[in-house]
Amino acid sequence: LLPNQQGGSNALIVFVEHGLMSTLLLVLVLMPLASALLLVLLDAQGSYRNSRVWALLSTLGSLALALGTAGRLVLEPIGAAVNRGPIHPWISVKQTWFQLGPGAGGKPVELELVLGMDGIAAWMVLVVSLLSTCAVLVSWEAIKERATEFYAGLLALETGLIGVACSFDLLLFYTFFELTLIPLFLMIGVFSKGSARDTFKVFLLPLAGSLLTLVGIVALATTAHSMTGVSKPFSMAELGVALARQPLPIEYQTTIFLLLAAGMIVKLPLFPFHTWLPVAHSRAPIAGSVLLIKLGLLGLLRLCVPMLPLACQETGLAVLAVLAAVGVVYGSLGALAQNDFNRVLAYGSVAHVGVAMLGLMAMNTIGLNGAVMQLINLGLSTGGLFLLAGMLHDRFGTRDLRQLGGLSANLPMFAACMVFLSFASIGLPGLNGFVGEVLSLLGMFEVKPWLAATGALGMALGAWYLLSVVQTLLFGGLYMPVSCTASNDVSNGGAGGGPRDLVARELFAIVPVMAACLVLGLCPQLILGTIEPDVKALLRRELPAEEVVTSTDAGGNWPVERETQVLVTGESK
Amino acid sequence: VDKAIPEIAQAVWLITPELLLLGVVCLKFLIGPFLVSESGQAKPGLEHRWGSLALAAVAGAMWLWWDQQVVTTPTLGPFRLDAITWYTRGLMLSAAFILVLLTWSQSGAGVAAESQACLLAIVAGVNLISAANDLAMLFLALELVSIPTYLYLSLPRRDELSQEATVKYFLLSLFSSAFVLYGFSMLYGATGTTNLTAIQAVLASSQSTLAPPLVLVGVVLVLAGLSFRVTAVPFHFYAPDVFQGAPVSGAALLSFVPKVAGFIALVRLMPVDAHAASAGFDAWMMLKPVLWWLAVLTMFLGNLLALIQTDVRRLLAYSSIAHAGYLLVGLYAGHEQRVATPDGVGALFFYLPVYGLMTLGLFAVLAAAGSLQKPITTFDDLAGLSRRHPALALALLVLVFSLTGLPLTGGFLGKVHLFWAAWNLPGDGGQSLAVILTINAAIAAAYYLKLIAAAYFEAPAPHWKGDAAESSGSSVPAAIASGLCAALSVAMFFSPSWVWGLINGSF
Repeated sequence: LLPNQQGGSNALIVFVEHGLMSTLLLVLVLMPLASALLLVLLDAQGSYRNSRVWALLSTLGSLALALGTAGRLVLEPIGAAVNRGPIHPWISVKQTWFQLGPGAGGKPVELELVLGMDGIAAWMVLVVSLLSTCAVLVSWEAIKERATEFYAGLLALETGLIGVACSFDLLLFYTFFELTLIPLFLMIGVFSKGSARDTFKVFLLPLAGSLLTLVGIVALATTAHSMTGVSKPFSMAELGVALARQPLPIEYQTTIFLLLAAGMIVKLPLFPFHTWLPVAHSRAPIAGSVLLIKLGLLGLLRLCVPMLPLACQETGLAVLAVLAAVGVVYGSLGALAQNDFNRVLAYGSVAHVGVAMLGLMAMNTIGLNGAVMQLINLGLSTGGLFLLAGMLHDRFGTRDLRQLGGLSANLPMFAACMVFLSFASIGLPGLNGFVGEVLSLLGMFEVKPWLAATGALGMALGAWYLLSVVQTLLFGGLYMPVSCTASNDVSNGGAGGGPRDLVARELFAIVPVMAACLVLGLCPQLILGTIEPDVKALLRRELPAEEVVTSTDAGGNWPVERETQVLVTGESK
Repeated sequence: VDKAIPEIAQAVWLITPELLLLGVVCLKFLIGPFLVSESGQAKPGLEHRWGSLALAAVAGAMWLWWDQQVVTTPTLGPFRLDAITWYTRGLMLSAAFILVLLTWSQSGAGVAAESQACLLAIVAGVNLISAANDLAMLFLALELVSIPTYLYLSLPRRDELSQEATVKYFLLSLFSSAFVLYGFSMLYGATGTTNLTAIQAVLASSQSTLAPPLVLVGVVLVLAGLSFRVTAVPFHFYAPDVFQGAPVSGAALLSFVPKVAGFIALVRLMPVDAHAASAGFDAWMMLKPVLWWLAVLTMFLGNLLALIQTDVRRLLAYSSIAHAGYLLVGLYAGHEQRVATPDGVGALFFYLPVYGLMTLGLFAVLAAAGSLQKPITTFDDLAGLSRRHPALALALLVLVFSLTGLPLTGGFLGKVHLFWAAWNLPGDGGQSLAVILTINAAIAAAYYLKLIAAAYFEAPAPHWKGDAAESSGSSVPAAIASGLCAALSVAMFFSPSWVWGLINGSF
């Protein structure tokens, strides 16, 4: 970050740069939502051509901003400060929200809106903004009716996802977490041919779970406020420091953990609560499926691991890890039994999430590293497979695996992408899935070997279902629906002439995702180097006695006394 | 007597905003009939003049309100002007803006003067409830709310449904007033005074910790009577029928104003500091289990019955019952000044404007999307609203999410505050109530989403096609009101400290 660290002029550069970074962060979070609102209000009845161009420009703008902020943090991590708490945004913007009290006895409760970015958030933001752009590209020809509403929903969803990653405040985190539900609900409701009942199932189950999470959040903040006297109990950074110094008693931790985890378990989803996911994936427009990032993992990582470590080690291991292991096997077997390609992927992602959960609940550095890597990898590889599913649907009007086969003859490029992403998803060495899965399982192996063994079995089963799909879809005898061979290929504007291979627009959507899979597979250090300071801090229980820095800057400023910390960081690299 | 007479004379200066409103009411009732022919017809466009006059009156009252200084010393006069009075006034005058706009679009030229006059009288009544320092004054103020309401409900439409709604509300309202009056008389009998400050002092200084039966019966009767106003179960049953029969503006008024009136009156009757009163007898503590059950039953019944409604107005009636339950949670939590988090009354006062915005705004959407002759009644009438009126549909989306309690809207913070206040109470009652509140919020999501599903997912019903031009004229004020409510609902999320400043009277 700071190539030359002498002289006063550099301090000025640091000040300007970080003021700018914080502003960019705010723009990054709010821009998709703003452009969604503009789209609805200014051009509600507009044609799909205008809407899709608007959406593409907006997502490309987000991608550029993400590369400018998150990409920079990835290349030059500044989060390894010695005197930091378990959660520590490397850059942040703050705004005082409101203040309550003081009552007769206690200190006032202050609430702030804190947006920030650390290593984990940086990678999430990169993946989300990349996938959003791809999602617009893959919907380019598929969505023509009510396109304005569709693209507005997609952009709102992008804000929700980026916002969740960048929230360093409990209520703000919850806000964005819920905000991801609403566009999905609207998208499924408007664009699916399914029943209204399905739509409600997809919305109400996660909503019920996340309301329990809200109960947990308020309970956590109030309990922490009354027991440790922390003045900003909703700020993750402050709360993390306070609870690391003075952990809550185990019985409190267990109750609050179960409440907090409820929403995340449903959202993940873990085994008995997964029923909404196949419905969502088979009903939602493909862009919705692509952007169904595994936020539950992030939620557990942000809310439970640093705040309630004892409960994670006991209840989490005893309940969540077991459910995850069951889910790995169940999801893989369930995927074998599906005919709809999207449902295959939905059950497959139940299994993948199970593996990541095993790593998370191991509560050691290896396992947590694996879980965070899987959070990123699943977005890329599963998201990429969903992109392909969308392209398949554009060509044949169906994703039914019984009606399709031997496509590699007609669609060689599609077949190549499919094989590549399937290998990435299975966890072939050299591609991105491998390192994450191995680290997750290794982490769990140190704690509960038999759970890790179950997870490994699930991985083998995962290879089975995905490879059998690849085999029938690409390499068996050639057949496709009779009605689809002629003219209803919409991928090229409905020009007719039978299904054709991937066009340039689709290659622009899928190739960056594949490239990311390859680069992260060959060079996992790129992720590990960025997330490692955050992951290690999550587990560190002893904090130095002196003042702990809870955020690197305040209100977009870069105070002079904090500058020394950056210098130390820069040298320690 | 020597002290009392100057205090009464002084008291006039405490209620200047209400005097202004009531002056305009008299003016409208006096002049209104002369501008209408004997058959009740008037020149079209007259409603714009009366609407503007009402807006001007509200603005004038607001100016007077803003200038007033809060008086904290207890008084023996008939009125007082403490932080609660000041806050309620601001709340009701702001709501009056929206209600005037709604009435504007829902009353024809012939009855505009009377409708607006009734509305202003109701607003003055609620303000007087918060200012009353005396049982007699409190009762008069409650009646000043009820009696114009009967008229307000019956004026815009004269069909059978509307008549039925009015008569039903009239009879049950009389019934509840009788309860309240009977309860007041017992409180007077037990304490020997009608002054609220004096009653509190007498009760707090009593040596026995056992309840005098007279006080207990009196308090229970008052609670029952006021439960009619706030539509708490089991006194809720008139609401769905009345909401269905009344014009949209009437239903909007009923969903909000009687709740404010009832809850302010209840807050006035409860001890200021729960722990200061614990030395003597505390009737409020004995009521706590009753309040707990009232809140739980009201929430569950409102939400569960709302699930099976097919008429939008009935659905909103049950939703307003459920919200009365949420507000009762705040009342149950009460003044709890030992905690640093919002106390129950603070959360209640925060929820009132939040709820007002979302319910008035939603009725304004219904008023703007339909018309007086052809109101929105079923889900089919709402179908395809996003294509008929995209901006109205967006307002509906925001307001319904606010009612559901989703983030980025004031409804979310309102529910969080109520939940928080209940969760922090000592003992198990509060925490169980907080969890029940959450469960109910989840149930409620199911039926609120049906509104959104209708507006966004379905195609417009055939009979709504092509009449966009016809319905646009009279509904402009209502459309403005709905947009205002939606924008303010979002603003409440981002700067709640502004409202908290008003609640603490320290703005």
